Amino acid sequence: MKPSGKASVLAAALAAAFGPALAADEEPSIAQLKTPESEASLGVGYVSDDNQRFGQYNGLNEKGGYLLLDADVVRRNDETGTWLRFSGRNLGLDSRELRFEQERQGNWGYFIDFSQIPRFDPYTVNTGLQGIGSTNQAQTLVTPGAGSEYHFSTERKRWTLGGNKTLLPGLTGDVKYRTEEKKGDRLWGQGTFGNWRFLADPIDQTTNQVDATLAYSAGKLQLTGGYYGTTFENRNNVLNVTNVAPLGAPPFTQMALPPDNQSHQLHFAGGYNFTPTARGTFKVAVGRITQEEDFPTAAVAGAPGNLGGRIDTTLAQAGFSARPLPKLSLRADLRYENRDDKTPTFIYYPSQRTATSTNNGENEPRDIKTLSGKLDASYQLPNAFKLNGGVEYVEKKRNSPPVRSVSFRETTEETSLSVGLRRAIGESMTGAVSYLHGQRTGSEFLTNVNFGGTLYSNAIAPLHLADRDRDTVRATLNWAATEALALNFRADLSQDKYTGRTTTGFELGPRKGEGQFFSADGAYTFSERLQATAWASHARNRYENALCPESGAPLTCTNSAASPVWGDKLTNTDTSFGLGLRSQLTAQLKISADFTQSDVRDEMNTFAISPAGALPGGALAVLPDINTKVTTFKLYGDYALRKNVGIRAQWIHDQYKTDDWTWQNWVYNDGTTITQDPNQKVDFFGVAIYIHL
Amino acid sequence: MKALLQALVLLVALTAPAAAQQPRKDMVLTGDAQCTRCHNEGDEFPVLAIGKTKHGTVADGRTPTCTSCHGESNLHVNRPADAKERPKPDRTFGKTSKTPMDERSGACLTCHQGTTRMHWQLSAHAGNEVSCTSCHQVHTQHDRVRDRVTQTEVCFTCHKEQRAQLRRPSRHPIAEGKVACSDCHNPHGSVGPKMLVRDSVNDTCYSCHMEKRGPFVRTHEPVQEDCSICHNPHGTTNPSLLKVRPPFLCQSCHEPDSHHSTIPNNGRATLPPGASTNQAVIMARGCVNCHTNIHGSNNPTDGGGGRGFRR
Repeated sequence: MKPSGKASVLAAALAAAFGPALAADEEPSIAQLKTPESEASLGVGYVSDDNQRFGQYNGLNEKGGYLLLDADVVRRNDETGTWLRFSGRNLGLDSRELRFEQERQGNWGYFIDFSQIPRFDPYTVNTGLQGIGSTNQAQTLVTPGAGSEYHFSTERKRWTLGGNKTLLPGLTGDVKYRTEEKKGDRLWGQGTFGNWRFLADPIDQTTNQVDATLAYSAGKLQLTGGYYGTTFENRNNVLNVTNVAPLGAPPFTQMALPPDNQSHQLHFAGGYNFTPTARGTFKVAVGRITQEEDFPTAAVAGAPGNLGGRIDTTLAQAGFSARPLPKLSLRADLRYENRDDKTPTFIYYPSQRTATSTNNGENEPRDIKTLSGKLDASYQLPNAFKLNGGVEYVEKKRNSPPVRSVSFRETTEETSLSVGLRRAIGESMTGAVSYLHGQRTGSEFLTNVNFGGTLYSNAIAPLHLADRDRDTVRATLNWAATEALALNFRADLSQDKYTGRTTTGFELGPRKGEGQFFSADGAYTFSERLQATAWASHARNRYENALCPESGAPLTCTNSAASPVWGDKLTNTDTSFGLGLRSQLTAQLKISADFTQSDVRDEMNTFAISPAGALPGGALAVLPDINTKVTTFKLYGDYALRKNVGIRAQWIHDQYKTDDWTWQNWVYNDGTTITQDPNQKVDFFGVAIYIHL
Repeated sequence: MKALLQALVLLVALTAPAAAQQPRKDMVLTGDAQCTRCHNEGDEFPVLAIGKTKHGTVADGRTPTCTSCHGESNLHVNRPADAKERPKPDRTFGKTSKTPMDERSGACLTCHQGTTRMHWQLSAHAGNEVSCTSCHQVHTQHDRVRDRVTQTEVCFTCHKEQRAQLRRPSRHPIAEGKVACSDCHNPHGSVGPKMLVRDSVNDTCYSCHMEKRGPFVRTHEPVQEDCSICHNPHGTTNPSLLKVRPPFLCQSCHEPDSHHSTIPNNGRATLPPGASTNQAVIMARGCVNCHTNIHGSNNPTDGGGGRGFRR
């Protein structure tokens, strides 16, 4: 294989640069075939335009050139089984990753890992707000569009250290520590009726995680136990807000920021193979979450200096799987989880204790206790049919404050039954169909009363508490139609029906949910050197809700032309497809291409339920659909100049289109505007030279 | 000269049988000789690259040989005279394999049952005819599913709805490899719901979003219970991975008293400062325009706005 023209010149230059690495081509020896490979690449990239979507997480968000530098260097001492690995990915970008690890396999190992995760906010902020990035911000009135322009971003920098050691045969210790700094700004705000102000959330946080385990494994028995601890530290605990005249006073002068908190958990788990086909497992864990940061703002006299937040958690699980008969498999699982919120209560908001208030001014600890059980069975029938069936039960118990603004039931129970049939037809086709029916119900809803004891609204069964019937049907087909052609089809249909509460003759709150999903995948192998793939999917999810403005005492639906009972029907439709091509055109040249497109439409239809046809003053005007279209084309080429040296080139074209109107024309009372480019097109070109070391 | 040639022929004749009887040397794994006498890198099933992997690190006495996974396969090695085709090895792992899935996984679990694979047998994967080699490639240095950038290619083989969701505007950085499926899910089984790596949905989310944990002076019940009541972590068209856009999401739980039943209004018309509540509940950040600290507020100061997560 003799490269020609410019490639030869480049190869000669590389030979001069890399010397022995460019040894003459030769058939690989056995030693080479079993020696771990290493690779490093160096190149440049170019982004054609500033963009807010394509580069949101990869750091390629600004027009200009970028350094493309990657490395994966692996060395193994075959005599001792000691691995040494250094890997770096995207080293020239803000999304860089670095890792160094050394391991004597089966004995000890350690690693250090760095990862940087940028997030560039997809919006452009134009504001007069002063003090962005600090905890003292002054709202300033500007003419819309005449303020300063900002592109917010956050960045996480994560370091992870870890090590392991085989202490005794079958006994291994493993420790991992991760610390992450997150800094930056994100869109925020504050408001009250008719007065919405912009703020920038100043983020300066550190999270730490320690995971230490001891694991024992010997034949039929495996055990593991350990400690998992986390801490969250926020250097900004309150945002102080002022105003600059002529803008009036802010709705609130102090905005709480997330408080420091921590968690500790001890866990112990195990598994035992009673027979080659029967196994039991368990896990128990106890934990504690605490939040004791001193309040940064003034509390009422007599209040504690901090919340003294404490949540104790308990988990117990036991599982069993067996094949009591050659054709029968059984699996059972029982799980108990208790979140016991032991945070002391105190009347932090005494001014709220008025007759018509929907809270009693206390903080509200939340207990949640979950008990679940599951039993699955499958049986091999004649003619390659396999029958599956299962039952699952989930019971959740929660507590509630005595005065509340949202309806509540203390217990929900959900039972799900499933049945499925799978069949393998020859070696080329497998089909499966399954049906699941779930029913959620629970205890009576508690009666909502105001702090003064009078009846409050009792109309809605909240989404996660409502009685619900769920039906799901799923069908899949895998078909190797020919040696070259493989096809896969899938269809999911689901429906949720919410019932259980009626007020003034109307069923309000969540009413219905529907889901449909269809997909088809195909792969065709033209030859060893050319393969093509194609896929398409279509999903439609619909959710329906009903509401009514309330009035009177007790509160009931007003049900008038001016204040009708109304509903909304939200439909999300996603049509996506992709095409792919992988080819090796010559011994040196590989080309691959991928094209994907997603087209998503959100429809938000509001309509009058009663009085029929009521459209008061355009209040039920049709909300425009929101359409989002993402199109990506990627073309990669890889040309081998030598057996261990080559050039890779890539071109990515990305287009993001949206008609999202929810920020368009929105102006904060301080004049802040937030916009995004509705049609973003960007091209990325990259070329890099790589060498196998 | 003739005598010399005769001596050489005699030497060859004497030594040849001895050489033929010498055991073949292993090529990669300890004890692989009986396999590698036929299977090499030019074979239909190239095998030698396993030497580049941890399985091929023979200095570690725990590493397997071919028959550890594929079985002794006597009929495959010694093809019966009357067999039209050479019988397959005892255990095979390819697409057309007839080896039962639990037996394929069993070969791996012989060594890998512990730690994060403790609960494999109860996992949704094991219950749906997925074996270890459905996802993992054993005879290659670069196992796609263990690489954060290429992992989704493997997961999307079955999880096709997520393939489309991950391309939506509100998403985790999964396409960039900064978050991988396995950061949240343990595909080998766990005691958490949906095979999550931690024991609950919230504990899994708190791994990266610890600021939402609290507890707070003012807590929001569904936030404390399950993040996935409101969020779809795989991607949505609504901001902040919300399943449904405010106010519709909030109106799914809140009593219709006061402004809670506000009918959202089209905000396309030019909007001077001082929007109507109908517009403010759906435009910009929707209900969160006011209820800023929706995950909980630790502001203890008495007065208005505290209970509504507004300050």
